[in-house]
Amino acid sequence: MIEYDECEKRMVLKLVYYGPALSGKTTNLLQLHDLLQPEGRGDLMVLDTKDDRTIFFDLLPFFLMAPSGLRIKLKVYTVPGQVKHDATRKAVLQRADGVAFIADSQRSEITNNFNSFQNLEKNLGFVGLDIEHIPLVVQFNKRDLGGIVAEEEVRRVWNPSGIPVFMSSALHGTGVLETFVQLADRTYEHIDSRYGLAGNHGLDKHMFLSQLVRRRSDYS
Amino acid sequence: MNLTTEIEFLVGAEKRLTDVLDEAQTQPLLNSAVKAGVGFAAIVDDRGVPLWSLGTHQPLPIPVEEDWDATCRLLLEGEPVGAVCLIRGQVSSKGCGIMAHLIAEALNSIINNNLKRMLTTEIHTRVVNQSYDELLESNRRLTESEKKYRDLAETLERRVQERSGELKRAYARLIQQEKMASVGQLAAGVAHEINNPISYILSNLNMLRRYLGKMASMLEHYRELHASAGSEKWQELKLDMVLGDAGELLDQNVSGAEKIIQIVSDLKGFSHVDDMGESAVDINLEIDRTLGVLSREIPGDARIVKEYGDLPTFEGNAAQLCQVVLNLLRNAFQARPRGLQLVITTEHKGENIRIRFSDNGPGVPDDIRNRIFEPFFTTRDVGQGTGLGLTVAYDIVTGYGGTIEVENRRQGGAVFLVQLPVTGGTHGQLR
Ligand SMILES: Nc1nc2c(ncn2[C@@H]2O[C@H](COP(=O)(O)OP(=O)(O)O)[C@@H](O)[C@H]2O)c(=O)[nH]1
Ligand SMILES: [Mg+2]
Repeated sequence: MIEYDECEKRMVLKLVYYGPALSGKTTNLLQLHDLLQPEGRGDLMVLDTKDDRTIFFDLLPFFLMAPSGLRIKLKVYTVPGQVKHDATRKAVLQRADGVAFIADSQRSEITNNFNSFQNLEKNLGFVGLDIEHIPLVVQFNKRDLGGIVAEEEVRRVWNPSGIPVFMSSALHGTGVLETFVQLADRTYEHIDSRYGLAGNHGLDKHMFLSQLVRRRSDYS
Repeated sequence: MNLTTEIEFLVGAEKRLTDVLDEAQTQPLLNSAVKAGVGFAAIVDDRGVPLWSLGTHQPLPIPVEEDWDATCRLLLEGEPVGAVCLIRGQVSSKGCGIMAHLIAEALNSIINNNLKRMLTTEIHTRVVNQSYDELLESNRRLTESEKKYRDLAETLERRVQERSGELKRAYARLIQQEKMASVGQLAAGVAHEINNPISYILSNLNMLRRYLGKMASMLEHYRELHASAGSEKWQELKLDMVLGDAGELLDQNVSGAEKIIQIVSDLKGFSHVDDMGESAVDINLEIDRTLGVLSREIPGDARIVKEYGDLPTFEGNAAQLCQVVLNLLRNAFQARPRGLQLVITTEHKGENIRIRFSDNGPGVPDDIRNRIFEPFFTTRDVGQGTGLGLTVAYDIVTGYGGTIEVENRRQGGAVFLVQLPVTGGTHGQLR
């Protein structure tokens, strides 16, 4: 959690989209931005990667309000996937409340996915978070392409871990909301009891999710 | 004044408009608006309080309009945190709007750039404002604590790595145990079903052979008694050939049935459905059994040379041992499907039993040699294997306090060397 100020009634949460370079993290945020109503969210901030050598990440903020008056800001970040940007990844992961791991389904990317997931485990440890406990979901993106790892293969490998896995084609907007909703759901579960979201602030999970995910009517 | 300010870098830390904009950046823009004839120009925060302003004084704060024209909003990380507010002097309201929009656009790009710059330069930066001596002292402390921090980080990384490695291995073991259990059940079932019928087939065949002998000698007897009458018929029915062939057919059936019985017993032995615990294991025998079970997977033109030494029995679980042998054999078969030459050597050396598999396959490239025992690491196509075989072998062997290594032979091919401590095994005698 980035910040919790009881007197000011502010809470700032952070979700991170992690994964290898070009797996579709930015595309996920672009789609969220397009699929959801402008109400309750900010604009997508894409830090251009071409001329900036140090920081590459994207940010999409959401703004929620609990019946108690608690204002919750939820910042969704992507990390740069390239190996050399490890310092930035650590800084982005710091105090994260939940992580979506975006894998590239193409068979040629198996090793990159594996390395990136290991890097996630390592960096979570580095910033004092625990892979066993932090809310985590996995998305296998680019299902629309050929030469991809079969779904049952993916499930065979991941199911025993208990981590929810989603198949998606972010480019076409499928699987994007499901991934986000599940991540938000798990994140809520994780912080609810500690901060009394339901008990003290009257914000139950349904309300939390429906404020966060307001689909544009023409998409539903 | 000695003041140390530490900026701890955290992506996402909340920032205010005044953190990312300052007077030097806002003033020229407001100035140009006033010069163009605007009566009052201000940058206000989200409550309408002017942060920077220029021109004829206005009552403060400026009332926040319900929805400020979106085009003159200032955004910080996508969130509206303020606005450009121009109050018309001699400028038309349309002109004011355009100007406010232009200024907001310029400021938004300045905000973005400042934010980027802050994020960049703040990574791991400390601002130290101290006298030189104190600077040196704090530098020394900094180095010290940085070292501590680094040590901590390093052990942390290692611990996380160890832990995730353990988890993966435990997972691999689980999968494999489950597989072995089902193979064992299947084998037991098949063995049970086949054992009975094949046993009476074999004993009936033996009985039949004896009956046939009797009938043959009876026929001989008749031929001698009635030489003239019988001889023609004898020739016609080719009984010389029939009697000879019948015996041979029966012999072949008997040896076929015996082979089936052997396979069933190998299968039963291999799956060790009867003993899942530890016992005295004859490693040479288990290798032969495993080869027997794998016989269909052995490439047709493969040459397998066995160089077995005299081994003490090994205290352990025979099923697990077979699993190690099976995985290493499979690995060799897949490494060289054509023209495989595999030498299996066993020897007793010091406290260890050594089992060596040398093949003439392509060998293991240097860069992956450390990784081939990792779970799910495979260089083969999907469907050829789970990438768990070598991991399982590794786990079992290290579980007994042994080692498993791979090396390339100078003349090409790989050598997998398994070393198992004899612990508890007694030389040459079963207990
Ligand atoms: N075919 C296909 N391409 C995708 C999909 N998602 C992303 N891409 C493409 O993959 C490339 C990298 O995407 P981007 O979101 O920038 O990856 P990032 O590095 O993880 O942020 C872009 O060319 C995207 O258009 C998908 O679902 N299907
Ligand atoms: Mg990106």
